[in-house]
Amino acid sequence: MSRADAPTAETGRRTRRPGGGPRPRKGWTARRRDLLAGYLFVAPQLLGSVLFVLVPLALVFWYSFHEWNVLVGSFEFTGTANYERLAADPALPGVLAATATFSAGLVALNLSLALALAVLLNQKLRGTVVFRTLFFSPVAVTLVAWTIVWRFLLQDDGGVNGLLSAIGTDGPNWLRGETTAMIAVIVVQVLKNVGLNMVLFLAALQGVPHELYEASMLDGAGRWTRFRRITVPMISPTILLTSIITVVGSLQVFAQIDVLTGGGPGTSTTVLVYYLYQNAFQFHDFGYGATLSVLLFAIVLVLTVVQWQMRRKWVVHED
Amino acid sequence: MRITRRTMVAAAAASPIALAACGGESDDDGPVTLRVTVWSANEDHLALLNGIAEAYLADHPEVEAIEFDPLPFEGYTSTLTTQIAGDNAPDLAWILENSAPDFVTTGALVPLGDKLSSTDGYDVDDLVPAATELWRHDDELYAYPFSTSPFAMFVNNDLLAEAGQPTAAELAASGEWTWERAVEAGAAVRAQTGADGIVIRDFDYSGWDNLSTLWTGWGARPWSEDGTECGFAEPEMVEAMDFMHRSVFEHEAMPGPGTTADFFAGEAAMTVTQISRAGLLEDAAFAWDLVPLPAGPAGEYSVIGQAGIGVLAVAPHPEQAADFLAFMTGPENSQKLAQYFPPPRQSQLTAEVLGQANPLLSPEQLQTVVIDRIDEGVVKPSHTGQAQIDQAVRAALDPLWTADADVEGVLTEVCAAIDPFLAR
Amino acid sequence: MKTERSGRAKLVLYGLLCLLAVPFVFPTWWMVTSSLKPANEIFAFPPSLWPGDPSLDAYGRVFDFAPFAQQYFNSMYIAAVVTVGTLAVSSLAGYAFARIRFPGHNALFLVILVGLLIPSEVTIVPLFQMFNSWGMIDTHWPLLLVPIFGAPSVLATLIMRQFFIALPVEIEEAGRMDGLGRFALYARIALPLSRPALGAVAIFSFLHSWNLYLEPVVFLSTPEKFTLPQALTQFVDAYGGPMWDVQLSAATMSALPVVIVFVIAQRQFVEGLAHTGIKG
Repeated sequence: MSRADAPTAETGRRTRRPGGGPRPRKGWTARRRDLLAGYLFVAPQLLGSVLFVLVPLALVFWYSFHEWNVLVGSFEFTGTANYERLAADPALPGVLAATATFSAGLVALNLSLALALAVLLNQKLRGTVVFRTLFFSPVAVTLVAWTIVWRFLLQDDGGVNGLLSAIGTDGPNWLRGETTAMIAVIVVQVLKNVGLNMVLFLAALQGVPHELYEASMLDGAGRWTRFRRITVPMISPTILLTSIITVVGSLQVFAQIDVLTGGGPGTSTTVLVYYLYQNAFQFHDFGYGATLSVLLFAIVLVLTVVQWQMRRKWVVHED
Repeated sequence: MRITRRTMVAAAAASPIALAACGGESDDDGPVTLRVTVWSANEDHLALLNGIAEAYLADHPEVEAIEFDPLPFEGYTSTLTTQIAGDNAPDLAWILENSAPDFVTTGALVPLGDKLSSTDGYDVDDLVPAATELWRHDDELYAYPFSTSPFAMFVNNDLLAEAGQPTAAELAASGEWTWERAVEAGAAVRAQTGADGIVIRDFDYSGWDNLSTLWTGWGARPWSEDGTECGFAEPEMVEAMDFMHRSVFEHEAMPGPGTTADFFAGEAAMTVTQISRAGLLEDAAFAWDLVPLPAGPAGEYSVIGQAGIGVLAVAPHPEQAADFLAFMTGPENSQKLAQYFPPPRQSQLTAEVLGQANPLLSPEQLQTVVIDRIDEGVVKPSHTGQAQIDQAVRAALDPLWTADADVEGVLTEVCAAIDPFLAR
Repeated sequence: MKTERSGRAKLVLYGLLCLLAVPFVFPTWWMVTSSLKPANEIFAFPPSLWPGDPSLDAYGRVFDFAPFAQQYFNSMYIAAVVTVGTLAVSSLAGYAFARIRFPGHNALFLVILVGLLIPSEVTIVPLFQMFNSWGMIDTHWPLLLVPIFGAPSVLATLIMRQFFIALPVEIEEAGRMDGLGRFALYARIALPLSRPALGAVAIFSFLHSWNLYLEPVVFLSTPEKFTLPQALTQFVDAYGGPMWDVQLSAATMSALPVVIVFVIAQRQFVEGLAHTGIKG
């Protein structure tokens, strides 16, 4: 990193001395130096991306055309056999359905809760700092610890049902029912990370100029109208950013599902990344695991491109 | 970097990075370092293993060091596989019984027979056949079952007395120690004390292979001897699982899904587990006993759980590793290992040797539960492709654990789910 | 919407916030209090809110069973280095992508964005092979290099780019007139103004590194080199059963400093973020 910026710094200094004034910098050389600076600035990140992202990704692509069983020690080129298997995999439709449910639920709950909390905490109110900290605190708890604790709390005789029975209702056996297990995994994941999105929204809300609200209040706009007409458009870039991060993140949730449900009951919470992990690391089938990785990558790519395209429609001020 | 066999040669050819990196140091000269992956991070275990390693190093200048790497028990096999895939295979590895066939039958391990029989004083014939069966393939031994531990029933006599039930020992003396009777006692405890009845430890409605400690009493098995026919829908299995289902949902003699009851904390009257867990009873505040598993309709039986150690075929130093394995598992060190792990050696299956390891257990308990049972023990179920079958059975069995489940219907579904894997 | 509320509305609001806070706070509360309980009390039903006989016993045992202090230090220094490294890499790249119109900047930006899309499970095997071929297995290098230069820092670059886009170009004009070069513009003008965005990036990268689980488990094998999340799974008894009280004590110790830092830093953090490019 320091290697990358050192020459740039020098460049900066050198242009100054002979030039003496601002004029020459507008010349061809200065511009070229500027461009060079651009490349040098992005070089560390770019090289890192190539080395730690693109090359491994290319290798995964390459593996997906092989039958690779680590234990057996086989590594054979099998052409598109893994992709044919993917198309015919009887478990895949269920896995994709679970993935869709999980991601949709997680994104919807996470974003709406984060926004709601941010709006609530953006009031002029004593103690918001305390609540802000409380809602953010799970982010600081180690993921493994958080999930293990919830696994206990969600048991049939665990803390959640203990609380529910204290207020007079009987809770379900959360992790043993297909629907409740899915709800549980989503909620536990949202609670863990919603604080980050909340803080981002809060920051965005505080950046909305107060005058806009005052003007609309003069127009007699109600609270909800103001929220819809002013707040949402004003923070739409943040909504875009958080939704991209959350969508991508939702497709990567693995450890939590592993600890909470192990993909069950049945296969109701076996999402794609978990299925991938099972095939590669539990069934030792790296070739098929790589093929599932390619599928996962394709899905994430499509979703992200779609969101990025949609930004022109509803994100109000982009560059 | 070392160039290992098959997999990695192929992977190296496939991967430009690996290719560029190959051909560095050579392993042929100089003392080597052996690496052993284990799943116990327990200090006492590691101290024992390191002690054995030090004794070995003293006489073997060709080995510089022996490292025991504790990997988390959760995901142990996965982490091991990742290391192998990443061309960083250990020399030796502990192997869980349920992944034994995957390692033993696929050529992932180095055959040990010649090495062991040519080692002075090793006495291969001392190994109990029932204990090594799982670790053999085509008459060749591929791993050494350093821990061979029968399942038994721990009993909380205080809870049974509180529920007005006879102790298990009394039942055994009068020939009434059967599952039927055990469940009756468990249900009584549940009804009268609020504590749980019987816990099949580590089952937890997902580790289904632990149920073999029950269904073997019915003569049931998950698949045929040769591993090709599904056994879940056979009448014995249906009967055993129906019994299990009724015990949970009708008699409430076993805690239902999603409920935790720890026998060792005094929360259940009985638990099925391996005898090595007796150590957890050191500070027990209740009177307890250890008895063999109750008899089932098919009579008395026993089930053993195992852990093996083997030399990986892709190990950097397979020869030195095999030599160390022979040293580590010879009679002398086997006796040391017996402190924590019941050995597979006939000569060491005595109440005296086992007693050192399990000071909390009486010689009679060890005799009836361990020594008398190890020969005929049925090893917990395992199959090539176990992880996949394991997952398929767990998913297909889940619908069984509701009060109104159709037992036979669910078990038929289990067979449908695993037939494709058994056929492979 | 900063309007003054009536007393009753405030009460409703507080009630709502308290209710919402329960699921956020209860697990942590349970973790902390249970770490003070003896092992057999942890799973009592219904769960008790306060230990009958609180004891710090398990905290001492944490240090008996593992080189916990060393592991704590490992996590700390790795997260610190990752944070500083990520700040440098992502602010440089973010600045260039936002400000300098060099040929191909869009294409290169897309290339980098790919990193945002890849779960670590996908690339862990090839990465393992690469680091192994460089002799970096069982060292901290993979845990430093990948987060700083690889996929995890992409989000940071994205945040920095958004920030610099929103920063008015005119601010740099004066510097430009003085004949400052690019690096000087970046280091002396843009960077000091970007403290809020850097704060956000710092928190993200610190937490990401602090929480890494799969990578340390795969790359490290010597207990002295372990990081905290990995160490948490190692507190088991002789039979592989978890020692809950010790685990929970260790978990509590791993969580508290981060919570405390956030309590202290959060005002600057949140209010700082309000001035970044990811605001509305």
